[in-house]
Amino acid sequence: MRGQPWLRRALISLPLVALLGMTLATAASAAEGGGSGLSPIVPKGNSPNGRHIYDLYLGISIPAILIFLLVEGLLLTVIIRFRRSRQPKDYQPPQWHGHRLLEIGWTAGPLLIVFFIGLFSFITLQRDYTAAASDNPDVDIHVVGHQYGWDYTYPEGFTVSSEGLQPTPLVIPTGKLVRLRLDSKDVIHGFWVPDLAGKADLVPGYQNLMWFKVDRPGEWRGECTELCGQGHYTMQIRVKAVSDADYEAFKRTSLEAKAKAGAPSPSTAPSPSAAPSPSAAPSGSPGASPGAGASPSPRPSGTGYSPTGQGASSS
Amino acid sequence: MASVLAPPRPKSYDDTFFKPISLWLTTTDHKLIGIMYMTTGMLAFVLGGILALVMRIQLAQPNLKVIDAETYNQLLSAHGTTMIFFFVTIFMTGVANYMVPILIGARDMAFPRVNLLGFWLIPMSIAIYYAGFFTGGAMDAGWTGYPPLSTKQFNPGLGVDLWAFSLILWCVSGIMASVNFLTTIVALRAPGMKFSRLPLFVWAQISTSILLLAVGAPLAAALFLLELDRQAGTTFFASNGGRPVLFQHLFWFFGHPEVYILILPGFGMVSEIVPVFARKPIFGYTSMVAALFGIVFLSMAVWAHHMFTVGMNIYVETWFMVMTMLIAVPTGIKFFNWIATAWGGSIDFQVPMKYVFGFMATFLIGGITGVYLSSVPVDTQLHQSYYVVAHFHYVMVGGSVFTLLAGTQYWFPKITGRMLNKTLGEWSFWLFFVGFNGTFLVMHTLGLEGMARRIYSYPGGFGEEGWGATNMFITVFSFVIAASVLVFIYNLVVSWKHGPPAGDDPWGGNTLEWATTSPPPPYNFDKVPVVRSNMPLRDMRADGLRPPLEHQALASHNS
Ligand code: HEM
Ligand SMILES: [Cu+2]
Ligand SMILES: [Cu+2]
Repeated sequence: MRGQPWLRRALISLPLVALLGMTLATAASAAEGGGSGLSPIVPKGNSPNGRHIYDLYLGISIPAILIFLLVEGLLLTVIIRFRRSRQPKDYQPPQWHGHRLLEIGWTAGPLLIVFFIGLFSFITLQRDYTAAASDNPDVDIHVVGHQYGWDYTYPEGFTVSSEGLQPTPLVIPTGKLVRLRLDSKDVIHGFWVPDLAGKADLVPGYQNLMWFKVDRPGEWRGECTELCGQGHYTMQIRVKAVSDADYEAFKRTSLEAKAKAGAPSPSTAPSPSAAPSPSAAPSGSPGASPGAGASPSPRPSGTGYSPTGQGASSS
Repeated sequence: MASVLAPPRPKSYDDTFFKPISLWLTTTDHKLIGIMYMTTGMLAFVLGGILALVMRIQLAQPNLKVIDAETYNQLLSAHGTTMIFFFVTIFMTGVANYMVPILIGARDMAFPRVNLLGFWLIPMSIAIYYAGFFTGGAMDAGWTGYPPLSTKQFNPGLGVDLWAFSLILWCVSGIMASVNFLTTIVALRAPGMKFSRLPLFVWAQISTSILLLAVGAPLAAALFLLELDRQAGTTFFASNGGRPVLFQHLFWFFGHPEVYILILPGFGMVSEIVPVFARKPIFGYTSMVAALFGIVFLSMAVWAHHMFTVGMNIYVETWFMVMTMLIAVPTGIKFFNWIATAWGGSIDFQVPMKYVFGFMATFLIGGITGVYLSSVPVDTQLHQSYYVVAHFHYVMVGGSVFTLLAGTQYWFPKITGRMLNKTLGEWSFWLFFVGFNGTFLVMHTLGLEGMARRIYSYPGGFGEEGWGATNMFITVFSFVIAASVLVFIYNLVVSWKHGPPAGDDPWGGNTLEWATTSPPPPYNFDKVPVVRSNMPLRDMRADGLRPPLEHQALASHNS
């Protein structure tokens, strides 16, 4: 410890300086809208559920930052005030063995804090994460993941396929409640568009639900979040929100293209994945019309499982 | 026990090290087995670290092609498996193997031959896992190995089978060790060593063993069922009729307690080290023990917080969320008790104590980000992103690895009879502290901005190029960690041969290991010690049986 104090100080300040620099860089790049990977907070979410996550994140940050400062402050105090070299030569430390009241205090304090965090989280959970939250969607899209791409089937019956690194956008109208019914053909995938809302997994065997209500036109990136094989990182996502008029136009061209091709997937080459796709694999198709509240969604109804596979007709 | 086979009492391990190799292969001495566990763990650390560096080079810039995607997935899986199963757990088992019998005043573990067998299963387990790299491709489905990706249909190679077999062996070894520890602690304590006088490291080992005993078998079962799916055509987890999510439940029923198996021994080490260097008794002994058992109980009721995006019922999710948040409470108790122990002390910031404070400063961050992650809605943003990678490295490196390095620095003089070089110790600490935070702090922000984990590259085209600089920063700092580990290992090797002799009690310790020689004789104590409190050495000093603390000068002058 007698070593070189300047060296120690330099080493300590290094990460702090780096941190400061990065904060500034973030602020700068946030101003121009680009990402530098230094955002200290979750995306604001261009959909109410995304925004509720953002709010919750901010809310949790208040006690989190306070506790962080408190404990690191205590540690620094101990390091500075109670080092042996700072104590009088014949200092005899007090031999405390405990303190009932203090110990109760730092049991009850954290308990109270996590109670409130839990409560607010539960409120959000109940508002945004039940089937009821997207019971009557304006647009109900069936999303099927596969190694390594996505098929988006619209209620009008056409399918947009997105493959790999040059993703075709999932086009949705602004201001409308869009529900995604998520399902997989092969292994587990995850659908995540950070700037809209949270993610959900695509598990073969049952449908998961997810919804957006995007307030402004724009295009956002996303990607598969569940390791799904060699091409996992190529499983990119784009979501494009457009005005009502543009959405109608999009539907029209898609339907025309479908009619012309006599097959689904107008937007890109069909390029069926080479992945082995078991014939018995559940297609989880909307054949059984899961449109209304009684959809086979696992979130609301308890079981967590609803193996489709059996009896579900293929579209 | 076979006392006739006992090796002659070594003055230091210089006398035995490498000499009769047959001694190392056949010994049932818990100390030598402990050293072999620790050595195996350290080698695994180096191996896993090298894999991590290769991954970091691949990720330093967008669209690099240093290795191919399949190799990345294999390295990723091997890194995770190696660090968790073969490094931290094994190293901690080694420390406990060495210290627990001595700390309770016993001559050896209760079942020395089981101990021997349990240890030798580990090199086998590691060899089986790594055999995958030479048989056409190692495990590539992540350390969690979720089906259907790990079923035969999507993963026909031998890698998954070797992984499953390797970890089943690992579970068997872990269960043996747990039974052995529990029996030893219950049955072989020295006279007067009541449970209420057990050192907290021993309490930590009790709770760790209980956990591993409870969750090792479910992991083995999950892997066995997966193998049945792969080899016998059953459909427990396969996508054609099975339930992939069931595997996740079984895996995480093991997987979450496992992270406490990694950290509880570290908590125990901290509880031993802080009082010694602060010259104060531990604050709140009873609440420390209660907190350990609170953690044991809660950690088995939180597993599905790893599954908040698979689509569970929200009330089930709420249960797991609340249980997870509650773990913050016993962990907080331990934290505040450590701080209160140090408060008002006369603290000597020797290298072990520096590691302890480094641990508290960083583990705190992992604990706080854990509360964010436990909130279900927030988790649906953060799950499977780099935020999670940052979080669990803060917990497992900032927590387990920091404490484990602290413990190594603390007990090295006892184990080898020699002091570590202090300057090198300082360098390894500061390099590790700076390198660690430099590497992992900004991973949080990458994740917050949408970078998913377990990706081979981030292709760009939509703003992801901007992540390049941040990733380069991370990669550079990961080499600072590597430098620190090199300094640390160099210090171990050189000081073991050339360090100044440590004497029995270089730090002025409180517990029984400091009452015997360094290294201890084959049966640990020439005379079975009698225990009157939870600081038996302090009692001996008071009785004039040991020199008073002021004369413990060795550790204080620089070596
Ligand atoms: C010491 C330096 C270390 C570095 C530079 C490092 C780096 C990394 C990197 C780059 C990944 C891959 C992230 C991804 O692609 O998602 C990773 C994953 C992981 N690391 Fe580390 N790591 C280190 C130490 C450790 C330690 C000590 C542990 C455990 C005790 C650990 C446990 C893990 C685990 C469990 C994973 C996840 C593997 C998976 O996703 O299957 N790491 N680490
Ligand atoms: Cu995928
Ligand atoms: Cu967990």
